[in-house]
Amino acid sequence: MNTTEQLQSNRKVMEGLQPKRNVLERIGYGILYAILGVIAFFQIYPLIWLVLFSLKSNQEVFNASPFALPIDPKWGNYINVWTQGNISLYFFNSVWITAVSVTLTVLAASLVTFAITRMQWKLSKLVLGLFMVGLMIPVHSTLIPLFDFFLKLNLIDHPLAIILTYTAFNLPLTIMILLGFYYALPREIEEAAVIDGCSVHRIFFQITLPMTMPVISTTAIINMIYNWNEFVFINTFISSDKFKTLTVGIQNFIGQYSTDWGAIGATLVISILPILIVFFFLSNKIVEGIASGAVKG
Amino acid sequence: MNKVMSNKFIIGLYVIPALLLIMVLIYIPIVLTGYYGLMKWDGIGQMTFIGLDNYTKLLSDQQFWKSTLHSFLLAIFSALSLLGYLAVSLVLAAKIKGANLLRKIYLIPMLLSSVAIAQLWLKIYHPSNGLLNSFLVSIGIANPPAWLAEPHLVLGAIFVPIIWQYAGFYILIYYAALKNIPDSVIEAAKIDGASPWQIAYKIKLPLIAGVIKVTIVLAIVGSLKYFDLIYVMTGGGPNGASEVIASYMYKQAFASYNFGYGSAIGFALLLFCLLVTLLIRKLTATNEEIQY
Amino acid sequence: MLKKKALPLVAAMTLLLSGVLSGCGGGQTNGGTGTAPSADAGEKATVKFMHLWPAGSSKQHNMIVSNIVEEYQTANPNVKIDLEVLSNDQYKEKIKVLASSNQLPDIGLTWAAGYLQPYVEGNKFAPLDDVLDGGLRDSFVSGTTEAYAVDGKTYGLPLELNIAPIYYNKEIFKKYNLEVPKTFDEFKTVVKTLADNGIAPITVGNKEPWTGSMWYMYLADRIGGPEALTNAINRTSSFEDPALIQAAAEIQNLVDLNAFVKGYNGLSNEEAKGPFMNGQAGMYMMGTWELPNYTTNEDVPKEFKDSIGFFKFPTVEGGKGDINSFVGGPGVGLFVSEGSKVKEQAKDFAAFFVQKWGERSVTDAGVIPATKVDTSKLDLPQMYIDVLDELSNASNITLYADVQMSAAVAQVHLNMIQSLYGKQISPEEFAKKQEEALANDK
Repeated sequence: MNTTEQLQSNRKVMEGLQPKRNVLERIGYGILYAILGVIAFFQIYPLIWLVLFSLKSNQEVFNASPFALPIDPKWGNYINVWTQGNISLYFFNSVWITAVSVTLTVLAASLVTFAITRMQWKLSKLVLGLFMVGLMIPVHSTLIPLFDFFLKLNLIDHPLAIILTYTAFNLPLTIMILLGFYYALPREIEEAAVIDGCSVHRIFFQITLPMTMPVISTTAIINMIYNWNEFVFINTFISSDKFKTLTVGIQNFIGQYSTDWGAIGATLVISILPILIVFFFLSNKIVEGIASGAVKG
Repeated sequence: MNKVMSNKFIIGLYVIPALLLIMVLIYIPIVLTGYYGLMKWDGIGQMTFIGLDNYTKLLSDQQFWKSTLHSFLLAIFSALSLLGYLAVSLVLAAKIKGANLLRKIYLIPMLLSSVAIAQLWLKIYHPSNGLLNSFLVSIGIANPPAWLAEPHLVLGAIFVPIIWQYAGFYILIYYAALKNIPDSVIEAAKIDGASPWQIAYKIKLPLIAGVIKVTIVLAIVGSLKYFDLIYVMTGGGPNGASEVIASYMYKQAFASYNFGYGSAIGFALLLFCLLVTLLIRKLTATNEEIQY
Repeated sequence: MLKKKALPLVAAMTLLLSGVLSGCGGGQTNGGTGTAPSADAGEKATVKFMHLWPAGSSKQHNMIVSNIVEEYQTANPNVKIDLEVLSNDQYKEKIKVLASSNQLPDIGLTWAAGYLQPYVEGNKFAPLDDVLDGGLRDSFVSGTTEAYAVDGKTYGLPLELNIAPIYYNKEIFKKYNLEVPKTFDEFKTVVKTLADNGIAPITVGNKEPWTGSMWYMYLADRIGGPEALTNAINRTSSFEDPALIQAAAEIQNLVDLNAFVKGYNGLSNEEAKGPFMNGQAGMYMMGTWELPNYTTNEDVPKEFKDSIGFFKFPTVEGGKGDINSFVGGPGVGLFVSEGSKVKEQAKDFAAFFVQKWGERSVTDAGVIPATKVDTSKLDLPQMYIDVLDELSNASNITLYADVQMSAAVAQVHLNMIQSLYGKQISPEEFAKKQEEALANDK
């Protein structure tokens, strides 16, 4: 990465030496892409490894070299995973619980961040502080108090307990990320809207929200990944199969004395596909957002 | 302006639902954790009030301080790694060919659950046929170490996957922040004859300073309460050599039936996070609201 | 228009709040999760049963449970058994949370001794002596239910009984002209020969130190006799007993002989199993729950299964222990929740379960039950018959040290085992640290 910058700062020095500069620039770009390529390899390799892993038997997982190709691909692992237990139900639960929680979190966090950064009130700093402290409690400290609490509300084994917990625990992080962006966002448009007599709701929903699409997508991705992979809360608060999610499907293959790793690999591959797709989709929004927001404004 | 933007009713409407939610679901556990910390309690039977005994025990508990040191080391490394992620993001956000695809690839590891990441890295570090040791043998190192079994190596070895795991998270945030800078600002600077280096250093970085500050807090607080991979990959071992505050707390509360003591550790962790956050805010205290 | 957008949110929050408030009124009383049968006969009693054998990883166990449940429900049409299945770690975590809120399932699985103690002290488990006295006591192997007893009352019905022999690869032994060692000196010769030939003599996954603890326990038994360790734990003697220190020194001697597979302190039990299953390690000590891998498991090649045998831990010259003393004991057992509203039904089901389990577990899942098995009536692989014979000839079975100890001391023990194997502490310190932990525990 430094290469580009050095290279480009050298540009002026090179200005007089046209042919040489081209060569150097090419070499520089070559090095840059080589570095980027190596990083890319390290980042995509886990996915490839996971797919290979999911096609192995336990014998191969532990006895052969971990990076070898599967000798006799066990597609049966996928069939096994898909037909055993309630994976399609878990899949459906994962989708809707994640979707509802992400929507609630991002909307509530945007409202709070808007109120804190754009509106004038005395307690705003204190309230922000309260949210930030929410980042700091270790998850396992909360299990027994929360279980007790939901029990009193009759919400144990109810998906609402999960959705509320996911929303609450992701709010602080989401607000923190939104905050950095809201501070950097130009206020002229909103100020103009106020002068035009716009209501606060209108400003928020029609100006601020669209303008913050990139960061909304960013936080939505982060929230989605966290909720999708979460298993401590769901295992503790949910008992019935009908509300369990995909991470519980993975638990299905962990035994008292032995674990079926190939099947776990297959479950992980199945469970990563939907978020991979949504991720690619949302990831494009990060770039698009700012332009479209500006147009609407 | 002031009148519209300080409407108490609307502020309440926007803030109270979320505030209520965290007050109930996060602050009740925080208060109760503080309360349990004053008790002798196995988590199952009767509680006995013992005042600050758990906390005085904490002060002289070597394993607790060792774990605290490990957590702070992780926090420092995570904070330093932000520089690398920032650099990668600057390159990706510059208009180079293939940036869009590269960015997506870079973020893939963050989609994986800790279960998968732990398995991958256990296989990389495997003492005899792991990727790392196979490589070291092939370049002529006869007897490479067992990374996760050596007390003086395990901590470093476990930091690598943790920091790698979060690469996508921070690149994503930085990238979005950089893309959030209006093109007009950059264009104006270019017209003024600023070099790309100057644009990055003098314009882009100050504009995303707020975001950078937030990520520093997230990285440090996140590291201090980090748990997942350590628990799966080493269980804090051998003999506490890779124990961190959260894993030690978990062991005390859930494996050793010292729920009271575990809660005291959890509360101490909260205080550490709070102190460090206040310190960061003091150190980085500038005019927070950057205007164009 | 925008006001309208905000309204549903407010409405949702109000609804949420009212839901919360109404929920308070209908708060549950403490106790089990089952519903008691009402007076009229048509009402069903629901007994909640939590276990840790998911269909994915423990297919046979899971099936036996389902079959027994079905059978019981057919025989008792007014009882419904409600199952919840979790994996091992999740199970342990959830049971803990449930216990703290008085919400234990009516029936669940527990481990013996040190694990069970806090639940008994917290009055969470029901004494099951009435169930045992109904004739069931005699069907258990003697000594098994005792592991679940606190102050003369029994709180668990054991389902498994395991001992830990040393499995060895006969092909490897044959190749290097090695005999099954009868004494510890012979054992060390075996270790040396294998190590000199580049074969890992012993594989052990000491990231989970209960595995390394078993080797230590055997040495303690062979040197100091079957009571040495048990007495140190129950405080009738000290952990700084010379025999316990010598046993620790012998572990470090084995480490010096390169007896253990490379990186053993960083390997899980499953990872450590790899070299043995792959014919790269000579010996592996594990509970007899491993037997299916050497007999019935169809995923394991037949040639490998045929090449595996087992032997008893050799005696140490001049030591007090005899070769028929084993490390092992009952594994999981059934508990009935003290707070259960359907305690009678739960107890009845538990008794039914234990008997049926005893009849099926060894043939269907390869689990040696804690109830007596009549080998003459069963068609079992030879290795099972041999193990069952050893079990009936056993002079003593010492319960796993980390199960005997209270949970807090067990953590110290496990940490010390790792340090001992890693040679970060001397045998004397090893004993001293545990003596301190034991002394401070009560």
